Amino acid sequence: MDFNWGEFLQFTITGLSVGMVYALIALGFALIWKASSVANLALGQIVLISSWFTYSMLAQAGLPAYIGLPIVAIFALFLGWVIERFALRPLIAQPILSLIAVTLGIGYFLEGLITFIWPLSTAALPDLFPKEVIHIGSAVISQEYVWVIGICLLVFLALTMFFRYHRMGIAMRATADDQMAVQACGIPVTRVFSTSWMFACVVAAIGGVLISSIGSISHGLVETGLKAFSVVILGGLDSFIGAIVAGPIIGLAETYGGGYLTEHLWAGVRDVIPFVIIIIVMVIKPYGLFGEERIERI
Amino acid sequence: MSLPCGIRNYNYAQDMAILRTRTHWGLLIAILVILFTTPLYLGNYWLGVFNFIGITLIAATGLNILTGYCGQLSIGHAGFIAVGAYTSAILTTRFEMPFLVGLLCAGLMAGIIGIIFGLPSIRVKGFYLAITTIAAQFIIMWVINQWGWTGGQLGMTVPFASIGGYVFRSGPSQFYLIIGITVLCVFFAKNLVRTKVGRAFIAIRDNDLAAEVMGVNLTYYKLLAFFIGCFFAGIAGSLFAHWNITLTPEQFSFTDSILYVGIIIIGGLGTSVGPIFGVLFIRLLKEILTINVVPFLEDKLTMFPSGFASGVTPMMFGLVIVLFLILEPRGLAHRWNLFKASYRLWPFSY
Repeated sequence: MDFNWGEFLQFTITGLSVGMVYALIALGFALIWKASSVANLALGQIVLISSWFTYSMLAQAGLPAYIGLPIVAIFALFLGWVIERFALRPLIAQPILSLIAVTLGIGYFLEGLITFIWPLSTAALPDLFPKEVIHIGSAVISQEYVWVIGICLLVFLALTMFFRYHRMGIAMRATADDQMAVQACGIPVTRVFSTSWMFACVVAAIGGVLISSIGSISHGLVETGLKAFSVVILGGLDSFIGAIVAGPIIGLAETYGGGYLTEHLWAGVRDVIPFVIIIIVMVIKPYGLFGEERIERI
Repeated sequence: MSLPCGIRNYNYAQDMAILRTRTHWGLLIAILVILFTTPLYLGNYWLGVFNFIGITLIAATGLNILTGYCGQLSIGHAGFIAVGAYTSAILTTRFEMPFLVGLLCAGLMAGIIGIIFGLPSIRVKGFYLAITTIAAQFIIMWVINQWGWTGGQLGMTVPFASIGGYVFRSGPSQFYLIIGITVLCVFFAKNLVRTKVGRAFIAIRDNDLAAEVMGVNLTYYKLLAFFIGCFFAGIAGSLFAHWNITLTPEQFSFTDSILYVGIIIIGGLGTSVGPIFGVLFIRLLKEILTINVVPFLEDKLTMFPSGFASGVTPMMFGLVIVLFLILEPRGLAHRWNLFKASYRLWPFSY
């Protein structure tokens, strides 16, 4: 059997675009981790709830995309602010176990809220991108994937610029570096925290909209959010570059594995590959490719 | 105020005893008598609820040893329970082994799987370990979903528990089986943390580097904590399988794993009564919600699409977990201690 290059190219493009979305969601995680050392395990539910909200705006209320999507962004900002203000703010300087557990609780709550408001099991977003397919050789590639990759790159660029040049971005990096020193300089640390949450939710929402516009909105998006953790782990918890490099790696591993391994293994192998990667990275190099290795002292 | 007035210790055994006074003994005997006569007062529905409480309590006790005492956060506990449930189910149906063998093998199997997924705990902790256990949950559930022997998505039917020809089919008999094993497990857990092993666990939780410097073998004790915690989970899973008699992968979801973490937080991490309070609180809250609140909401709020009220229970659970972490991070066990102290000093509390 000779190698099917068309199929391979198709897997590559799909993997790259899925991986870029994972990287985007992972950025949402890294933002919060960098600013406040809180591990946000409610990421999957935030992705899901913003996808459902987009569905309400675009499909149920019938708003055009240029009005609906900004409303979604405002919703995500608000969600991030509420979570930070009412759940995380009272727990500043608590042990890491409480911080992890509180985000788990938030995730649980959001999951109930989603069932409460949108009891449907699946739904599809209206088309955001043109549907025509692109032919490259024997490969048939849906145009959406290319759009998704483009938008993800744009968001990365915007975030990088923000962190390099904007006052708040610089304040966030400073907070991540040394919280005490930043407080002494008169930077409002609580505002940095809430901004990081708001940004993280917006980034997660963008990821959610992109991935649900390729596929559909279902409870599986929570798992997508959790898979983004494999990107975080592989790239290193506090590294933006790591997320951008590791995202496509995970995405490609997932689609190649799903494409070539399913016939040799059981179905659904695609969905566990990121989790297997997590375990492997943990055993070999727990701090990831670009993560900062912390040395502990008593 | 851990003891009433006027109690003195004359030797070490007295100092270490759990039950110190006649009142302690009286209360313990009264509670055991009430517990073992429960089938006389309760109907089959509530017996079922208490059976489930017992099973959850075994699993939560295991998680409390692992997370509460040893400090290794595990968010994949439902996966380990599933390992136990399916091990026991496969052994009793496909190999026709007796129930007790299935029960024991379920515990051992879950413990071994727990050690395998606990291996990263030697190098990492905190958030990294939490992610590893989430990954463990998804990998375990994938295997169960796809493997031929487990019946996949359709699940499998399991016989009732039986010991030496006696089949635990009726509600009361199941109650005695489950509560009996639960009491044994709680007793074991209570005493485990008073031994050398328990002190090593607590040392690792409080500061693992300092513990290592003092000569605690981190690798051994962390993996031991994983083994014991997951062994309890396996026992709970086996009991669940033979009590519920149908097994499907949905019964061991990721949200259940979160709920177990919530249970021990609500009860109080690292306390022996914590899991009991937490399980009772969560399970009774669930009963109140499903019996009273959900039908009421379905009646009153007809403008929502049907099926919306099934979201109320997870919403309340999430809210309760968050509120406990913010308002009473030491859990119900701490409140219980405060109550005992004020009861002993009453009416002269100063």
